[in-house]
Amino acid sequence: MSRPGRPPVPGLRITSEKRSRRLAVPRGQPTAGSGRPGVAALPCGQAVERYLAEVTARLPGPAKAHTGIVAELRSGLHDATDSHQSAGLPPAQAVQAAIHEFGDPGLVADGFLPEIAASHARRVATVLLVTGPLVGLLWLATAVASHPAIRIATLWQWTTLPADLGAGIQLVAVAVAVTAAAGAAGIAVTGRLTRWLPARPRRAPLAAAIAGFGAVGADGLGLLLLAAELAAAPGRLSPLPAAAAAAASVARLLIAKRAAYRCLAMRASLARQ
Amino acid sequence: MRAEALKGHLDGILLAVLEPDPLHGYAIMEALRVRSDGQVDLPTGTVYPALHRLERAGLVAATWSQAGGRRRRVYELTPAGRRALDTERGSWRDFAAVVSALLQPVSLAANPS
Repeated sequence: MSRPGRPPVPGLRITSEKRSRRLAVPRGQPTAGSGRPGVAALPCGQAVERYLAEVTARLPGPAKAHTGIVAELRSGLHDATDSHQSAGLPPAQAVQAAIHEFGDPGLVADGFLPEIAASHARRVATVLLVTGPLVGLLWLATAVASHPAIRIATLWQWTTLPADLGAGIQLVAVAVAVTAAAGAAGIAVTGRLTRWLPARPRRAPLAAAIAGFGAVGADGLGLLLLAAELAAAPGRLSPLPAAAAAAASVARLLIAKRAAYRCLAMRASLARQ
Repeated sequence: MRAEALKGHLDGILLAVLEPDPLHGYAIMEALRVRSDGQVDLPTGTVYPALHRLERAGLVAATWSQAGGRRRRVYELTPAGRRALDTERGSWRDFAAVVSALLQPVSLAANPS
């Protein structure tokens, strides 16, 4: 909820002279030359589609992620066109008035950036938090199958492992803790908490990026430990769970790395607003 | 009245517009114009991200509905949204009362009759 003194909703800052002037034009009365060149000659649907293409060209991520936004804006533009037509404008002018009323495509896209970043961050954090325990179980199965000395034991009993392996597992635990904390934070700040937290759109992609790099660290270290074990005592490893754990970790590492960089890119684009 | 003047209050205004009935995006914009007597002039395209943010916060719920051959996303206040609107109204009244008191000419404020 907004309260006095709280930062404005992103996308509603209208700073440039040009935008102020555009807004000052009476509604439904496009001035000569206010449309983009060539747009007036297009059929109504095409002018709307061109406007939507200008908005989506500025949105990050794959086009498929924006289909909902585009569909909603499209139906809004058609509603606006209907409204201007029933106010007496001919179809071509009504569509221009609707587009003019929706505002600069860059401004509209800027408004959606924090929302897109938040939902991407939330998805990344969720995927990492869900896959983490699954991959962890595969590693646990590998450890138990490979070292018969380890029954399903408490973590501190694992200190009976060789020293370097024990240290490696502690590092993995740190990376897992970072991933879990940052992932939980990413989910928390993009949900109901949005009501009470001050709007800082760069927070969620940062949390998700940290969770992503944490997962890269955890999976990477797991794979390194596996490689060390393979080099030290290849016969000791139980091949099936080890292969499954390694495959799962490689997949998660690649996904997490890509997602983390995308979150950082979104955060950077929010900084430029 | 443009976007700068509404700073920080757009969320509450959108909730208030949705209070009587669920509305789709463009109907919300038209309701804003009608209820402000044409004084509110926002770029319509910027209202949609604000609605998405309110949805994420759980203050409004959105559903796609089909009417007259057109699919529209209809927004509705949630119980949490109604509570938030009450809070917003209360804090606006307090804020407005303080600012009105402060903006009153000193001669009047000093000699209440």
